[in-house]
Amino acid sequence: MNALVALCHFCELHGPRTLFCTEAVHPPSPSPPQPGPAIPGDRDREADREGEGLTMRANSSATQGADMCEGCRSLPASHPGFVSVDGETGIRYLSHQHPRQPQLFSVVRQACVRSLSCEVCPGREGPIFFGDEQHGFVFSHTFFIKDSLARGFQRWYSIVVVAMDRIYLINSWPFLLRHLRLTIQSLQNTALKVFDSEQCVCPQRAVRMNSAFSPAVFPHQRSGNAARSLTSLTQHPNLWASLHSSFSWLLKACGSRLTEKLLEGAPTEDTLVLIERQTEQEEEMSGWDGAEGGVSNPQPSQSESVQAKDFQFDDGRQEDILGPKFKSLRHLRQVLGASDFRQLAWHVLMGNQVIWRGADPGLIQSAFNVLKALLPVGCVRAVPYSPHYEEAYRCNFLGLSPDVPIPAHVSSSGPTLLNKMEVALSNENLSVEVVSLCLLCLKEEWMNKVKVLFKFSKVDGRGKEDTQKVLALLGATGPGEEDNVRLLKFWMTGLSKLYKSHLMTAVRVGERTLSQ
Amino acid sequence: EMTCVSVSFSWASAEFDLAQIRLIVYQDCERRGRQVLFDSKAIHKLDASELTADETKTPPNRSGACHIGSQASEKDKPPTYQYTRPASDVNMLGEMMFGSVSMSYKGSTLKIHHIRSPPQLMVSKVFSTRFGSSTSGSTNTLQDSFESVSQTFPNTLLNVFQNVVKCEGVMTLFFFFLAHSNPVDMPSRGHSEDGDSGIARSASLSSLLATPLPSPGSSFSSGCASSYQRRWHRSQATSLQHGPMPRWNTEEMFNLSDESCNSNPAMIRRKKIAISIIISLPEREEENHNFQEFFFSHFPLFESHMNKLKTAIERAMIVCRRIAESSQRVQVYLCRVMEALGEFRMTVWNLYMAPRISEPVWLSMISQSTERNLLCQRFLKEMSLLMDHGAKSQFLSALLTAVLTHHLAWVPTVMPSSLPPIKTACQKPASQTVDLLAKSHPYNPLWAQLVLLKNVSFTLHRVYYCIILFVVCCLGDLYGALGSPVRVCRTVVVGRRRELVQRVLYILSYFIRCSDLQEHVQPQGQRENLDNPVNPYPLKPAACVIEKALNPESVPSTSVELNNDTLVTDTKSTNPSSSPESSTVRPECTEMGQECFGEDSDSVGGGLEHILANQSPLLHRVQFHIGSPRETENEGQAGGLSGAGCGRGLDRKSHQRLLTDIRRNESSDSALGDSDDEETSPRELYMATEQKEYELPLPSYQAESRASVNHFGRSLLGGYCPQYMPDFALHGISSDLSLKQCLMSDLEHTVLHPALDEPVAEALCIVADTDRLSVQVVTSQRRVCEGGRLGRDVMVSNLVHTLITSVLQLYALNIASDFCVMHLEDQLQELYFKSRSLAEYLIGQTRVHVKELGLALGIESSDIPLLAAVASTHSPYVAQILL
Repeated sequence: MNALVALCHFCELHGPRTLFCTEAVHPPSPSPPQPGPAIPGDRDREADREGEGLTMRANSSATQGADMCEGCRSLPASHPGFVSVDGETGIRYLSHQHPRQPQLFSVVRQACVRSLSCEVCPGREGPIFFGDEQHGFVFSHTFFIKDSLARGFQRWYSIVVVAMDRIYLINSWPFLLRHLRLTIQSLQNTALKVFDSEQCVCPQRAVRMNSAFSPAVFPHQRSGNAARSLTSLTQHPNLWASLHSSFSWLLKACGSRLTEKLLEGAPTEDTLVLIERQTEQEEEMSGWDGAEGGVSNPQPSQSESVQAKDFQFDDGRQEDILGPKFKSLRHLRQVLGASDFRQLAWHVLMGNQVIWRGADPGLIQSAFNVLKALLPVGCVRAVPYSPHYEEAYRCNFLGLSPDVPIPAHVSSSGPTLLNKMEVALSNENLSVEVVSLCLLCLKEEWMNKVKVLFKFSKVDGRGKEDTQKVLALLGATGPGEEDNVRLLKFWMTGLSKLYKSHLMTAVRVGERTLSQ
Repeated sequence: EMTCVSVSFSWASAEFDLAQIRLIVYQDCERRGRQVLFDSKAIHKLDASELTADETKTPPNRSGACHIGSQASEKDKPPTYQYTRPASDVNMLGEMMFGSVSMSYKGSTLKIHHIRSPPQLMVSKVFSTRFGSSTSGSTNTLQDSFESVSQTFPNTLLNVFQNVVKCEGVMTLFFFFLAHSNPVDMPSRGHSEDGDSGIARSASLSSLLATPLPSPGSSFSSGCASSYQRRWHRSQATSLQHGPMPRWNTEEMFNLSDESCNSNPAMIRRKKIAISIIISLPEREEENHNFQEFFFSHFPLFESHMNKLKTAIERAMIVCRRIAESSQRVQVYLCRVMEALGEFRMTVWNLYMAPRISEPVWLSMISQSTERNLLCQRFLKEMSLLMDHGAKSQFLSALLTAVLTHHLAWVPTVMPSSLPPIKTACQKPASQTVDLLAKSHPYNPLWAQLVLLKNVSFTLHRVYYCIILFVVCCLGDLYGALGSPVRVCRTVVVGRRRELVQRVLYILSYFIRCSDLQEHVQPQGQRENLDNPVNPYPLKPAACVIEKALNPESVPSTSVELNNDTLVTDTKSTNPSSSPESSTVRPECTEMGQECFGEDSDSVGGGLEHILANQSPLLHRVQFHIGSPRETENEGQAGGLSGAGCGRGLDRKSHQRLLTDIRRNESSDSALGDSDDEETSPRELYMATEQKEYELPLPSYQAESRASVNHFGRSLLGGYCPQYMPDFALHGISSDLSLKQCLMSDLEHTVLHPALDEPVAEALCIVADTDRLSVQVVTSQRRVCEGGRLGRDVMVSNLVHTLITSVLQLYALNIASDFCVMHLEDQLQELYFKSRSLAEYLIGQTRVHVKELGLALGIESSDIPLLAAVASTHSPYVAQILL
């Protein structure tokens, strides 16, 4: 929680004092704001503090010098304080008498003075919320602690929770009240036991009744006793460690009391396939490592490469290729000419094998990189440059040097997607970025159609008539229908295993629920 | 036809009486002390026809409508009010509102008090007052009335209130302060204060700029980037670590300056006005608890309505000032304030009592994975029924076009995730980044929910807005005037056929999205027990038993044991045990221990006193046995709780010796006089923290998480309500009569007093009429609409229409309904991709060629508003281009 908790005390001699303060220090942000006086507005706050109401001034004048008693103190000055670290988040909960962050010093001071001197709580014990944007917002709970030597046999304390997020603090009221009450009650009970035992030994009421009242002596008589610390009132030597733990817990628990379940879109099929491939590769690699003692082929870590994915441009490898290369689909189209390009793209989309022969492997590679963008990642199997022919089932992109022979068996209108893509490519008004996003849209659109067709024909196993209806509603019928279907069927091979297996299991689960 | 909402959920567990809400307006003047300016408890309606005319005594019943405009029918003859002696508690309440010492702070202060008996909650806002420099005319009237009253009651100057009350029990004059308000003093103060807040504002701006923001384009690769940013921003904006930084205009004053004469506003800082709402809590424990849960979770809405009330009171005071005759003036004042209070009461009553959608589709779908199939089936069935019903007018397509355009929280839920799904492809991955953010940089999830439900263009914009502002400063208004880009929207479904309206609400509850909220609660039984992990160090008189390490070979570490069976079992797993035979040693502790051990191993040989005197208990094997000595002994005998067992056998004598030692140590400390003075400069304190703190283990946080059923998200999705409700993101009503009455002022109010805790530029309302099958959008920006209609008709987006059609056709072909819903999500994702294309297309375009968009991107002109709105969530410049 973006807050701090402090225990405050109204000292009979010195007025409101901060005794003990637990703050949550968050792990540093990438560029933390300047600490200390560099924070803008700091000076204003100081000025404001000076000019603050009567109480502040009265207090500062009353506490000049070392005029401070045991009752105003928690940890000895030499005590370094307490810290607890939340390993999961890196948040450190620090407890000292005063907050360590200078800009919070006056905030806590203000909260302390207001909770014990300014705000009025009916019955003097109980919760109050108060605050403003400038000084922060405070949830305060005031309470009495029994003290056999104090005036009225009790002393006045408060626990304040200070935050800037007014709404969160108010939302947390019921929670804070519930838990601070527990802490307060245990403090009170502990002190009550001490009080009772002290009263047994030496009943103060009788002492006071019997002692002659002398106005001159009275303040001095009591001044020594007024200085009792909370430790002595509770006889709890680990009091501060306990409070540190209580307060730290409170800050943590209040911060994680509510969690938000936030959903984001399912990853695209391209992402899934990429991840699956990477996992497979890593598994293979680890297998190799085990067998041969490690072939260190620097593979980018999964998260890294997934982060860096940008499917339409594949990867940065293109930059490394020297010599002439294809920069974009449009570039390729310009070089090949519209009709040749269309032919080529048609075959790519249909899943036909594209063989590119040439002496420059870099050029071929760049052409494949550009062409790959036309297909779902799962449909791309490329062999950029091979010394011999590879069969079509092994790769749909194959680069060959001019002298490699191609076997004899390899040698053979368009789909809607191709037509649309051509429109985008031929429109010089659209930038390369727009075209690639446009292509992404088309691919996702058709991939969604592929999913429906897969579900329909492969998972549910529907008949031809129904399939025709689905094709119609998918907008795959009409001109180019045959090609559309071919494309859809080919692209089906590009679905991720995860997706396919999910649909299969969903059906099985569905069957089970139906049969029940 | 099946009915959608069989059981509707409501907050109220009991009747809520309107009289439970009391309003007090109090003034605190330096010269004349405190005066009650209004107390609803002391006001009674005088009516010739009715004897018990106090409208608060006839609350609406639960099922019946509660009409805000109840005064409207009586407008011809406004009611007469009588002011009686104020209740005995007003003095005490005044003390609570203003505090015993006045603060010099100029801005508004918010306070909440809990009064135990009778149980009440009091919310107060204390404002400084601002007066307009009075024109000659108004001064005269004020002066006149002042003099006339002075003649009638010579004593009123000293004690206005009591005298007035004595006078026939009718409160005739209690706003003398108006007569005294001539702004003579402190003319220059106002300026310096403006300067102050200016600095504060720029401070928060610069802190925003200092924070690293991913570049606009980078959100593409990670779908949750915008959600993450928005929340991160909230966490930063409310962080304590940078000290208090007012986030936006905090200079909220009580404005008594007449609009006609505010040319030279000056301020009297010595006068404050408090507005307090006091709510009587139900006597029964459970109802009381329910109401408090409701109140505190819905606080932003309460506050927003309180601000509205405040504005009405300001207006009442200003208006009545113009009336010369004093008794008439009082009547006008009372009437106006009572009317505003009536409205406030109704709004709260409605918010508390109104039925909610019992099973909002989206929230149920993401929280209950087991019933997802059934939910999908029902959702699709309802949708196809509605599609058939409004087929001719494309009602559903128009409605969804409007909802998808203006309730944009669905966009981040379809932005592709770069993370592999956790379980299945259907189950959307929960955002891990956001989860981590919530843990390390807490923001208020309730706030985030409110934003998601109500927000149109995301707060993300605010980040860019600041950057643009910065650029504007530097480049000299290059971009021209910039409106704040946050727009908020609500949807109201109107219709006489209850089940039809409920069907529409049910369907929309899938598209109007927000994240699910989970509450983590302490398991029952553990909560009230002091010795549970809630309070890992029970505060009892305890012995600190410290023993030197018996075995020098053993690794010194800190271990905390507690005298509670369940707890010790628990701590054992998380804390290192100090016993040598124990195998579970937490690594970091070991490391720490060794580090210290090496430096200071000599002290191991010391006795108890030595160890106590030593400032670093970490150097030793320290066991805190907490609990009274007797208990500790008992534990030890019953025990076997820890392998070490050291300290168990310690008798009482040594125990007491230890305590004395501790005390001696403490007193010697203060005797040395090295007290840290409270007034030590913060800088010195900061420097003094070179020492490393003693590390203690963080108490484990064990909580059962449960879906927070009553959370904000669900609470703002209303059901079929008896009347229009301004707070709901979605709800249904039977007639648009009350809507026509108050929608425009509500939208304006939303812009002026947003519940969002951040500035809002535009408020919108989608009105879907199931009787006329029409869908209109009303905006706070355009007042006038042709033909007395509320707003503008919605153009059906072709993409949306195709989307619904294809999903429902699949459903008609008997494809599994969860697959159909997945297909729907896929198609929503297509909309997102298209919006990206559009955004990219718009870069550097001076003219938009619709035909070009259609051919290349498959975007038609009817889709452009929708896609532009979607694009504005990831590419803020789109809003700029299209505006």
